[in-house]
Amino acid sequence: MFRFPARLVGAAVAFTLAAAANPGFAQQLELKLMAPAAPGGGWDQTARSMQQALVASGVARSVQVTNVPGAGGSVGIAQFVNGAKGDGNQMMVNGFVMVGALAMNKSPVTLEQVTPIARLTEEIQVIVVPANSPIKNAQDLAAAVKADIAKVTFAGGSAGGVDHVMAALFAGAVGADAKKINYIPFSGGGESLAAILGGKVTAGISGLSEYEGQIKSGKLRAIGVTSEKRIAGSDIPTFKEQGIDLVIANWRSVVAPPGITPEQRKTLSDAVEKMVKSDAWKEILKQKGWEDAYLSGDAFAEFLKKETARVTDVLKSVGLVKS
Amino acid sequence: MTSGDFVQPPRRVDRAGLVIAGLLAGLAVVLVWDARGLQSAAMYGMGPEAMPVVVASGLALLAIGNFIDALRGNLPARESADPVPVALILVGLTLLIAIIGLGGGFILATAALFVTTSAAFGRRAILIDAIIALVMSTLIYLAFDRLLTLSLPAGPLERLL
Amino acid sequence: MMDTFAALAHGMAVAVQPMNLLYALIGVFLGTAVGVLPGIGPALTVALLLPVTYKLDPGGSLIMFAGIYYGGMYGGSTTAILINTPGESASMATALEGNKMAKAGRGGPALATSAIGSFVAGTIATIGLAFLAPWLVDVAVRFGPEDYFALMCVAFVTVSATFGDSPVRGLTSLFIGLTLGLIGIDKLTGQARLAFGVPELLDGVEVTTLAVGLFAVGEALYVASRRHHTEEKLEPVRGSLWMTREDWKRSWKPWLRGTMFGFPIGALPAGGAEIPTFLSYSTEKRLTKHPEEFGKGAIEGVAGPEAANNASAAGTLVPLLTLGLPTSATAAMMLAGFQQYGLNPGPLLFAERPDLVWGLIASLFIANMMLLVLNLPLVGLWVRLLAIPQPWLYAGILVFATMGTIAAKPSVVELSMLAGFGVLGFLMRRFDFPIAPVVVGLILGPIAESQLRRALAISLGDPLTLLQSPISATLLGIALIALVAPFVLKGLGRFKANED
Repeated sequence: MFRFPARLVGAAVAFTLAAAANPGFAQQLELKLMAPAAPGGGWDQTARSMQQALVASGVARSVQVTNVPGAGGSVGIAQFVNGAKGDGNQMMVNGFVMVGALAMNKSPVTLEQVTPIARLTEEIQVIVVPANSPIKNAQDLAAAVKADIAKVTFAGGSAGGVDHVMAALFAGAVGADAKKINYIPFSGGGESLAAILGGKVTAGISGLSEYEGQIKSGKLRAIGVTSEKRIAGSDIPTFKEQGIDLVIANWRSVVAPPGITPEQRKTLSDAVEKMVKSDAWKEILKQKGWEDAYLSGDAFAEFLKKETARVTDVLKSVGLVKS
Repeated sequence: MTSGDFVQPPRRVDRAGLVIAGLLAGLAVVLVWDARGLQSAAMYGMGPEAMPVVVASGLALLAIGNFIDALRGNLPARESADPVPVALILVGLTLLIAIIGLGGGFILATAALFVTTSAAFGRRAILIDAIIALVMSTLIYLAFDRLLTLSLPAGPLERLL
Repeated sequence: MMDTFAALAHGMAVAVQPMNLLYALIGVFLGTAVGVLPGIGPALTVALLLPVTYKLDPGGSLIMFAGIYYGGMYGGSTTAILINTPGESASMATALEGNKMAKAGRGGPALATSAIGSFVAGTIATIGLAFLAPWLVDVAVRFGPEDYFALMCVAFVTVSATFGDSPVRGLTSLFIGLTLGLIGIDKLTGQARLAFGVPELLDGVEVTTLAVGLFAVGEALYVASRRHHTEEKLEPVRGSLWMTREDWKRSWKPWLRGTMFGFPIGALPAGGAEIPTFLSYSTEKRLTKHPEEFGKGAIEGVAGPEAANNASAAGTLVPLLTLGLPTSATAAMMLAGFQQYGLNPGPLLFAERPDLVWGLIASLFIANMMLLVLNLPLVGLWVRLLAIPQPWLYAGILVFATMGTIAAKPSVVELSMLAGFGVLGFLMRRFDFPIAPVVVGLILGPIAESQLRRALAISLGDPLTLLQSPISATLLGIALIALVAPFVLKGLGRFKANED
């Protein structure tokens, strides 16, 4: 009963594996990479893309991806910190969402315990309104928020995620009480997009790429992006241009276990750096539409610390984390 | 399973039914107790504690309903049950969980479950079953772990492959 | 309209190229092979097999996707019917009657009506996709949280069809499910409910874990406990292996009705596949001419939900292709597949790459056909599985049931939940509580709650919002009528009887 499907799955997959495997020399590095999420999600895709690029560029001989899903990465990081302590051949993918999830779930394990390696990618965030909305730009939205914050409904992803944090930051940046925002979390971008298109909510918050098609086709109006400078070739203004201090990005990074030696840390950092510079990685970024945001060493450690402090503050201000 | 293992005559207070009613009431209490710890902070409309309270009320009413049914003995007659095979399968499941939890790997864990279940259903050829189970789970492991790169828990046997 | 035909014809021409037919066949086969594993539904199947399609050109890879998708779904139904282990939540309704049929030696007709029904529904729904997509998506987007809540109310009223004889017992099961649905992080405020500090519980109870535990593990325990009573002898085939004339007669209407439920609800951004399958099951139970067979293996109860399941899958492609809205996990994986070729599904896709869109729609036809070609001859083989000696059969079922969980979430907590639900399923069988409402409660409860709370948050707490939306008001009206009508009819009947 098992043998017969397995054989054919095998035949089909074996040929692709053979095609994917890159001959040529590989170093002795044998890595284990944890994606603290179920197969298919963003972190899993990042981990599997790293696996592909690390092997294809000859940086590592083999990379094994393991999935430990649960609670925005809280389950994964706990297992990683406790189980991989001092192991210089393991890494874990993480990102913005984990910062909030750890704070909200009162996780006993924190990001301070892991050894930062590098930030890899980021995605710019956008606020959109339906095409027929009277709100034309960020200032209009700011005025509406200041007039009656409860009536301005924001649709976005899960509570405490990057979209939610951004809604609170927006309210704070325009001088409204972030605690009073009417943020409505939806499960998945699809459902919230429907609510925006149907005019059920005032505005929507999401990663730019997710709504790019709707913005181009004119069904949604983008009233601002969260990058520092205007994206090349784009006619969407940044919030900064419009006088609102709102800069945020949904980043993904990779970290190592606690308690590894400086040499081990250097080996991993070097491996990741080589991978980031490889053509295979660049090709993947292009395919997936990810923005390169490589930042390593102490600069990344500093960034991680700052981001953690900022997110925790915001979550406290909206009452998601008890101070 | 507090009631006896015999066929009960109808129209008698059903002890198992009373226990079920009690469990439902207990569940309702747990729900309310848990909901009290929630804060409906910074949300417009309905807070997170409303739904648990609604469900708890429903459970409480159903506890009463089940209690009345049990008192009247309105429960369908039950046939006797043999606890031995049930226990054997539960041992198998426990073994499976323990082996995976302790890092014994996928192959050993599923093989243990296979053998105990097979024994629960009356087979006594444990050695043959064990061989069948090991071969089968090894094949499954290879198919999924190697070919689909889906990581199944690895233990000593998996590392040999 | 003519344009649509021309475009579809062109798409067909692309899809029937021999290489593409081969891709469709491989896709359907791989999808079925992986999809039979409980807990590994179509979404994960597509995710796992995504790398396989990397090397193909966009057209070929989309066609293979379509095949994997349909294959994965059919695989889930096969296990639901044969070993009472629904591979995904959408095939749970199929397990209710399908497994009873299989045990009565009618597994062949059950699998056949499921395959043919899927084909019929998939074909109609794909035609719907081709012609109605732009119009349907306008309606779908108008569905707000309050309307979804009203839809859930309709669903809640109709699930009473799964209750069995005693309303108290049925409701008890439903409320156990609702309680399980509360476990985990509250979606709207991010607070943990009933998690008791266990991080693994924060994501809530996985529907497949519950369904597999209650159905498969529970059943194995129950059968084992009664072995000394009756040596249950399974006859794989009793009567015809194929559908008889009577089976056809009883199947075709449920197929069509199932499609009518599945396609539009699947097209709703938060519609899903579970609700239409249950609506279909309840409808068939109400309309059947053989009510005595329901619960013992009525073919209508397999034909309807299977058609609904397949039609809803085609429905989810409506928002995906027209808006770029991935409304199910599988659709999200499909989106990833599109993006791999630098394509962004959405309003522009129809205009920019009509060849691919119509090629995909055409390949859905082809994949559907392949599914039939591949599976009908295999029906005989599949039902032979039931001839495996009982100890090995059940041992195999348990290994099978647990490995889905081990593969998807290999944690001690998750496996313990699976075992715990197995014990729950055993006790519920023993004390004669119906199983299905537990799963229904787990699926519907959280959706109903979060949609109601979203609606109330948008209206700043004004419950009248539920009546102000015409869609919601209509649906609530339907729910009310469905709730009250049986009592009124009963009353009238009594009244008439008194007059006589």
